[in-house]
Amino acid sequence: MRLELDRIGHAFLGRAVFENLSLSLGQSEVVALVGPSGCGKTTVLQIAAGLVDPLRGRVRRGYRCHAVVFQEPRLLPWMTARDNIAYGLAAGGTSRAVRHAIAERRAAEVGLHARDLDKYPAELSGGMRQRAAVARALAVDPEIVFFDEPFTAVDVGLRRVLQDLVIEASGRDGFSALFVTHDLSEAVRLAHRVIVLSGRQEGILAERRLDGPPGSRDDRAVFELVQDWTRDPAFADLFDGSRDAA
Amino acid sequence: MRHGLAFLGWAGRYVWSGWAGAAGLFCIAAAWQAGHEAYGSFILPSPLETVREMGKLAGDAGFRRAALETAERAAAGFALSVLIGTSAGIAAGYSFAAMRLMRPIVTVILGVPPIAWIVLALIWFGASGGTAIMTVVVASLPISFAGGLEGVATRDRSLDAMARSFGAGSWMRLRTVTAPHLVSYLFPAWITTAGSAWKVTVMAELLSNAGGLGGDLASARALFDIPRVTAIVLVVVAFALITEYVLIQPLRDRLEQWRQAGLPWGVKR
Repeated sequence: MRLELDRIGHAFLGRAVFENLSLSLGQSEVVALVGPSGCGKTTVLQIAAGLVDPLRGRVRRGYRCHAVVFQEPRLLPWMTARDNIAYGLAAGGTSRAVRHAIAERRAAEVGLHARDLDKYPAELSGGMRQRAAVARALAVDPEIVFFDEPFTAVDVGLRRVLQDLVIEASGRDGFSALFVTHDLSEAVRLAHRVIVLSGRQEGILAERRLDGPPGSRDDRAVFELVQDWTRDPAFADLFDGSRDAA
Repeated sequence: MRHGLAFLGWAGRYVWSGWAGAAGLFCIAAAWQAGHEAYGSFILPSPLETVREMGKLAGDAGFRRAALETAERAAAGFALSVLIGTSAGIAAGYSFAAMRLMRPIVTVILGVPPIAWIVLALIWFGASGGTAIMTVVVASLPISFAGGLEGVATRDRSLDAMARSFGAGSWMRLRTVTAPHLVSYLFPAWITTAGSAWKVTVMAELLSNAGGLGGDLASARALFDIPRVTAIVLVVVAFALITEYVLIQPLRDRLEQWRQAGLPWGVKR
């Protein structure tokens, strides 16, 4: 077990977001966490990544190194793309020459051109910034990567490219991943397992294991599965726009 | 090699931008000349007379010593107030308790008129450089304090969370996340401090009879040597201009190059 959340609970200003939530992540396993806006997906991820302490429950970690890809790129505007990608390595104390070499390799993997590496984030397009953010996470050779709705702000075509990139990277480097998203087809494309979080503080509503490795499902299979789930009451929260905003 | 060329390009651009500044200064000189022609030499000596007087003063060893004395006092006052004000401001920005405690203190310091500090400092230090330095420190400390405080309080917490997610320690986060953001708050504060350091030093010297340019100004006034008075004023202004545009602004420009990168074409200065 790489990561285990044991009956965690959290509240903001006394208002419970979720209670008694347990979740585990295996070796090289990609788990997608889906749910409507405001259901606490991001809070679960922040607790798992150690950015927020849970009010109740325990988090057990069986790894040394993790990385987070946030919803926004969160690149430091005063550093070049190269230094941004190397940031995690710099925090770990890797020497300048080594971390720049690693940053260049990772940048090439996510499709960033070498000539873009000397640019500041303001000079990069939104897609390029998110690529740099993915490269920054991969650069530290993480055993587990937390994705917090990372591709919501990019266009459909680029989203596919970035998803494929994550699928390829997780297959190659063997990291586990917790992928938070509200897009079911994204979850179905990338994950080994999909977990549905309730929008009414009811915890985990459903858990589905998908057949075959991520990336093996073609568009037709993804579409049919999502269509199938639309009729499933467990997924009703996701498609019910009239539900009170939690 | 590439970095060297880039540096030369930047330095050339910076020096070249001086023309615009010079044009502004010459506008002031023109207005000054008009005032001189309207009221005559006794009330307002012409810019040319003043520059000639400055040339004469530059040859005078006693005046050079006085100018150096003032420069030392202003620099010491500036360094102390920036050092104490900025570090206290940064500390207060991180701790809400410290902020609540220090804000009223700063308001109190701001509320006491500088002239009162001079009188107190005269009693404590006598007619020495200490009076000028203390007055500068007390008068300009709140500016750096407020700059540091606002800078830290408005830092981007989402970037801070990003840095924490990579296991960056507090020193690294201060260096890479907070400090570059702080620069845009601190430099305006430091520029104001530098300007007021010169002014306040000369004022304190004049009132406490502690030599330096202020002492010179006092004796020129007593002798009704008006060209000498304007020449001394011009020397102080020149010192202030040099501190800002030769020492502080280039540093700021270098540190904030990333801001230039984000500007669209046509807005780049």
